[in-house]
Amino acid sequence: MFKQYKWSEVVTAYAFLALALLLAVLFIVVPIGKAINYSFTDYYLLKPQEREFIGVDNYRRIFTDELFRQTFFNTVKFVVCVVPLQLSMALGLALIVNRKVRGVGFFRTAYFSPAVLSLVVISILWTTLLNPNNGLINEILMALGLSPQPFLTSPSQAMYTIVVISAWSGCGYQMMIFLAGLSNIETSQYEAAELDGCGPLRKFWYITLPGLKPITMFLVITTTIQAFKLIVQPMVMTGGGPDYSTMTILQYIYEYGYRHRNIGYVSAITVVFTIFLIVVSVLIKKLFREEKA
Amino acid sequence: MKIINRTIFYVAASLIALQFLVPMVWMILSSFKIDSVIYRDISTIYAVVPRFEDLTLKSYRELLSMYNVFRNVLNSLIYASVTVLAGLTINSLAGYALARFHFPFKNAILLFIIALMIVPIEAIILPLYLVVHELGMINTLAGYLIPFFVNVMNIFLFRQHFLSFPGELIEAAKVDGLTEFGSYWRIVVPSSVPMFVTVGILTFLGSWNDFLWPVMAITKSDLMPVQVALNAIFSDTYKIFTSHMMAALTIVTLPIIVLYAVFQRYIIEGAIRAGIK
Repeated sequence: MFKQYKWSEVVTAYAFLALALLLAVLFIVVPIGKAINYSFTDYYLLKPQEREFIGVDNYRRIFTDELFRQTFFNTVKFVVCVVPLQLSMALGLALIVNRKVRGVGFFRTAYFSPAVLSLVVISILWTTLLNPNNGLINEILMALGLSPQPFLTSPSQAMYTIVVISAWSGCGYQMMIFLAGLSNIETSQYEAAELDGCGPLRKFWYITLPGLKPITMFLVITTTIQAFKLIVQPMVMTGGGPDYSTMTILQYIYEYGYRHRNIGYVSAITVVFTIFLIVVSVLIKKLFREEKA
Repeated sequence: MKIINRTIFYVAASLIALQFLVPMVWMILSSFKIDSVIYRDISTIYAVVPRFEDLTLKSYRELLSMYNVFRNVLNSLIYASVTVLAGLTINSLAGYALARFHFPFKNAILLFIIALMIVPIEAIILPLYLVVHELGMINTLAGYLIPFFVNVMNIFLFRQHFLSFPGELIEAAKVDGLTEFGSYWRIVVPSSVPMFVTVGILTFLGSWNDFLWPVMAITKSDLMPVQVALNAIFSDTYKIFTSHMMAALTIVTLPIIVLYAVFQRYIIEGAIRAGIK
């Protein structure tokens, strides 16, 4: 069967591919293998010699671990809030600036501007702005006659605060993607609908939304997966507190795997979390496809 | 009626713009004040409107005397540039091989790449750390940088791009005596500059903004990239004033503002291209 290939071409191809394949195996496949392997052991990083096979104990432990359960629900709470909030803000902004009037470029740039801030910068800046004692946001609330809020220092408010900040920082970027999607919708469709007597709401519902469907699916998947991997904001802003109210799954992996060196147990969490994320993205894709049919 | 509509648009759009601009304007403005002035102004309009007699470079001088922020900025610029150059080379060559050549196991390798695309890298960050640890490369630049040279998504994007590259051009180049690598380097790369710029910019931003991996892989302060250094400064609450912190945030944001000003078109395009794979 190798006769149909040109020998020199095969050598060149593998020469071009070699480094990429080597690195992909070493830094993606091997880690996955290690996580699976260690997840059945009681590996503690400082004592590699005392590693022992303990079967599925680590997996069982996940379901009885109160703190992990809380970090899981914290993360789900973040995802369920931030995905619809951020995407509807992005779509709203895109609809506002999707018109040809003077100065619209300024508004696009303004809405997009938080994209230049890194997550660490955003987290530090907002922690300062939200300081319950002398932060700018509470000053504005008081100027509007509202009472000051504890924000990040309150277990009941901290996660929602992180939700709003994340949506604030991410929606401008996604607005640009929605704008690209909007410009792909034929204006003739709108004109035809107008001739048929459709108002703006019906045009939005029957032309704009279906036209944006592929791009919306892409944004829902990426935002959801990204949101499940939340870690920088709670790490910098709250350290997972107060009362573990903002600790996320990835942060649990960092704290108990990396800092406390509890490799065996956290490897099991890594395996479950990785499979979970893959299942979630496949499910969302299915959901969108079925709706189409 | 049209005038009323237009007025409503401008008023609403401006009010929304304020919510995005005020935090950043406050950040930059406060970096040029001293703390007592920041908090004197905080309940007034002067929190976001400059008065020139208040502005000073004192916070920058003090910050830079306590922390070598420019060192961290330079580190990050170097790390991001190295990642871009290595990443573009490795991933584009792999994508090119998958698009152009016929060889055994080609489809299997392509499927392998696509399968890896759905693996969430952050989720496997702990075993990745263990691999680098077992290789003895923690706190080395090789251990920090090399794991992120390969990016399966970019391999795939390059493959899609090269699939539509006219093969006659390459055949002609080979008739002129160029090797496969020669024709890749002299013909294919120069005519794919926008693609390389787009992927390069996104790689650069990803490396510059990364936080979790450097926190784990780099603990020596003189090797720290800028995001980790920022977090370390932020934790020094006993000696850091608000104005110092805002100065640090402004310094770190400035290169990215320049980058966006120059390359905005490529950045948006790249985000969209990744979406229409």
